[in-house]
Amino acid sequence: MSSKSEPAHRFRRANLLHIPESDLLCKNGCGFYGNPAWQGYCSKCHKELYQKSKHSNVPELKSKYSRRSPSQTSGESPDSSFLTFSKFEEKKRHQSEKRAKTIKSIIKRTSTFKEAAAHSGWKEQRHMSFESQKVNRDFGEFLKTLREPAAQDVKKHIHVLIDRVQKYTDRSIDEASELIQDFYQAVGERFETHPAFQGASPDQVEQLMNFTEKYLMTRLYKVLFGQISTEDEEKDLAIQKRIRSLNWVTAEHLGSDIDDKHPEVRDLIDKAITDIIEMDSKRAPQDKLSCIVRCSQNIFNILHVCHGGPASADEFLPALVFIVLKANPPLLQSNIKYITQFSNPSRLMSGEGGYYFTNLCCAVAFIENLTAESLNLSQDEFNRYLSGEAVPPGGYEQNAFLCEGLRLMYQNLAALSDLRQRHDKLMAEALSLREDMNKFKDTITKEVDLVLAKTPLIIQPYKIPPDIDLKVLPSVIREHVLQDRASSTWPTDVLLTEATLVDIENDQIAGQQAVEDSGCPLSASDIFIKQASSLKPKPEKVTHVLLEPSTTGTVETFHKVGEYSLDLGEFPHSHFVQM
Amino acid sequence: MKRVDLKIVLLGKEYGGKTSLLERYLYDHFHGDLPYQNTIGAAFGAKKIQLDDKQITMGIWDTAGSERYEAMSKIYYRGAKAAIVCYDLTDSSSFERVKFWVDELKKFEEDCMIYLCGTKKDLVQEDRQCRKIDYHTTTDYADEIGANLFETSSKTGECVRELFTQIAMDFVNKYVPSSKEKNEDLILESPGKKSTFCCSS
Repeated sequence: MSSKSEPAHRFRRANLLHIPESDLLCKNGCGFYGNPAWQGYCSKCHKELYQKSKHSNVPELKSKYSRRSPSQTSGESPDSSFLTFSKFEEKKRHQSEKRAKTIKSIIKRTSTFKEAAAHSGWKEQRHMSFESQKVNRDFGEFLKTLREPAAQDVKKHIHVLIDRVQKYTDRSIDEASELIQDFYQAVGERFETHPAFQGASPDQVEQLMNFTEKYLMTRLYKVLFGQISTEDEEKDLAIQKRIRSLNWVTAEHLGSDIDDKHPEVRDLIDKAITDIIEMDSKRAPQDKLSCIVRCSQNIFNILHVCHGGPASADEFLPALVFIVLKANPPLLQSNIKYITQFSNPSRLMSGEGGYYFTNLCCAVAFIENLTAESLNLSQDEFNRYLSGEAVPPGGYEQNAFLCEGLRLMYQNLAALSDLRQRHDKLMAEALSLREDMNKFKDTITKEVDLVLAKTPLIIQPYKIPPDIDLKVLPSVIREHVLQDRASSTWPTDVLLTEATLVDIENDQIAGQQAVEDSGCPLSASDIFIKQASSLKPKPEKVTHVLLEPSTTGTVETFHKVGEYSLDLGEFPHSHFVQM
Repeated sequence: MKRVDLKIVLLGKEYGGKTSLLERYLYDHFHGDLPYQNTIGAAFGAKKIQLDDKQITMGIWDTAGSERYEAMSKIYYRGAKAAIVCYDLTDSSSFERVKFWVDELKKFEEDCMIYLCGTKKDLVQEDRQCRKIDYHTTTDYADEIGANLFETSSKTGECVRELFTQIAMDFVNKYVPSSKEKNEDLILESPGKKSTFCCSS
């Protein structure tokens, strides 16, 4: 209400609904806008008026309270306190649903007056919320572990308090806070001194205290939080707007070394952001605190990934500021105020929850008072970034990571470029493989040529042992052998033992006569035999097919001369000639 | 048995050894010893210690020492019963900053007990040249502000336990009314307290 832009904003709204502006102003004429919920006064004037009447005219106020008790008003037309109340709830729902003030929400919000008017006796229709039911169950179960008088005592006290708070919705939030803080203290003392609780161990007392707080605050959440979020709406919006205007701030600006491009870090940042946003949905202060603790633990994980070793507060606070800036948690100020006012004070003074909550308060204070200096920027730069005139280097990209679609796109782009790289590599390697293969082929051809050039194929006469049984010889060589025998005198001992003919399967050849043959269609041994037959046998230099160059020309032993098949019908099998 | 919470804040220039001090006390190891530790963060630690018939839960709060967060530091020490103001024995500028925090504490949190703590003593012991802050200057300052002074080494563990034990003892003597006095100091203190109580009632 105090900000300058607000009246202008409302003016637009007023035009939209055709309500004369004068009707909207505070009855006191202070220049601010009034509200039917505050009897046509603005919040400040109403508060003052209320304070005055409270001090001067207590009995009258009491009658006002009794008039407003739900049992009596349920049938009547709703009075202002009702409106206030349902408006709180409506508002709260709106804020969590939509951060921005849209036309839609404005219309909807104003229409709730009519709705609320038509909708009397809402309290009867209200069912216990899911959260309340759950905490009711848990609490009931815990109370069973206590002795009967103790459980009864706790229950009775809590219900008295809940009734008191729920009845008087006109109470200011500070008063409610005082009431509840007093209750914590009284209950804490009672648990320690009252005879009903004598048997309980310190752990049990602590648990009882926790449950009491949780139960109480879950039940009263709507009443109290609604009131806070209405009163502090301006502050909530202000910080939200502030954070939004600072969306360009990077971890670097804050002096933090968070690498938010790292996928693992991104996931953890998301987790931390989820945790801190979740805080608004919790009811009991300790549940809200545990959200903060979880968020903080994720921040420590982030820091751990980013630079190894354990992190200290020096690194933690900037990281928390960064997370808060990126998360922009809804109703931040209201939540902080709620926790501060309605949490058990010992919780905030000691323990992890208290520590991280304090850090959160610090982070928020830092964001509120953020200056160019604290980001190590020049005033000019800072102003330009703040107004959105310029974007710091890399700022756009960084924020794009917060949008799910864009992030997916970036992830896919990264995957694609990775694929492309791998593909390129594969191609390059395939090409080089081809080249290698070609080179290999060339070298082999060259080497073979070289070897062939160095050692030309010389076919030397075929040598036949003189006393070989002609029956075992293939018909191809048989006549040749006969010819040889006729033409020359062979030394009887030349390589006789070395020559063996194997694998003669067909017995038919045994009966066959040796026939002269000069051109048998053999592939490998073709030339060999031909040439052998044309050469004059030189007994002292007799040798066989050369696989390796034999420069000496003397008789060499070859393990395997070759494999050839005698494709003449009678010899369908391959013959192995080993010498 | 009585249970008491004690909030201790660690103040000091960044990288002045606050975290190492905390880590040494809580887990009894030093950062430089191992490349990796199980602890992922040492910003907050709770430790229970037993003094006479009381169990004290010390919540030790590390704070960000960077100057840009200076304005926020009073949020941290709100409600603290003791503050350890750290300075680096090898860094003369760190002691200048000590004065800032001490002044702040005196202004905003009068009841807070102040402990000055010179860190990285092992470095000074290795090489006398490293010492940039004169011992006598610090003792004079400590006397002036009524604070205790410790010179510690988180690497060797020297004086660390003593520092925290001292804080716990001072706290008990100052804040926790004792039922059974075993400590001599307590006997001296409590009659005074009792007498004022009697007079007022």
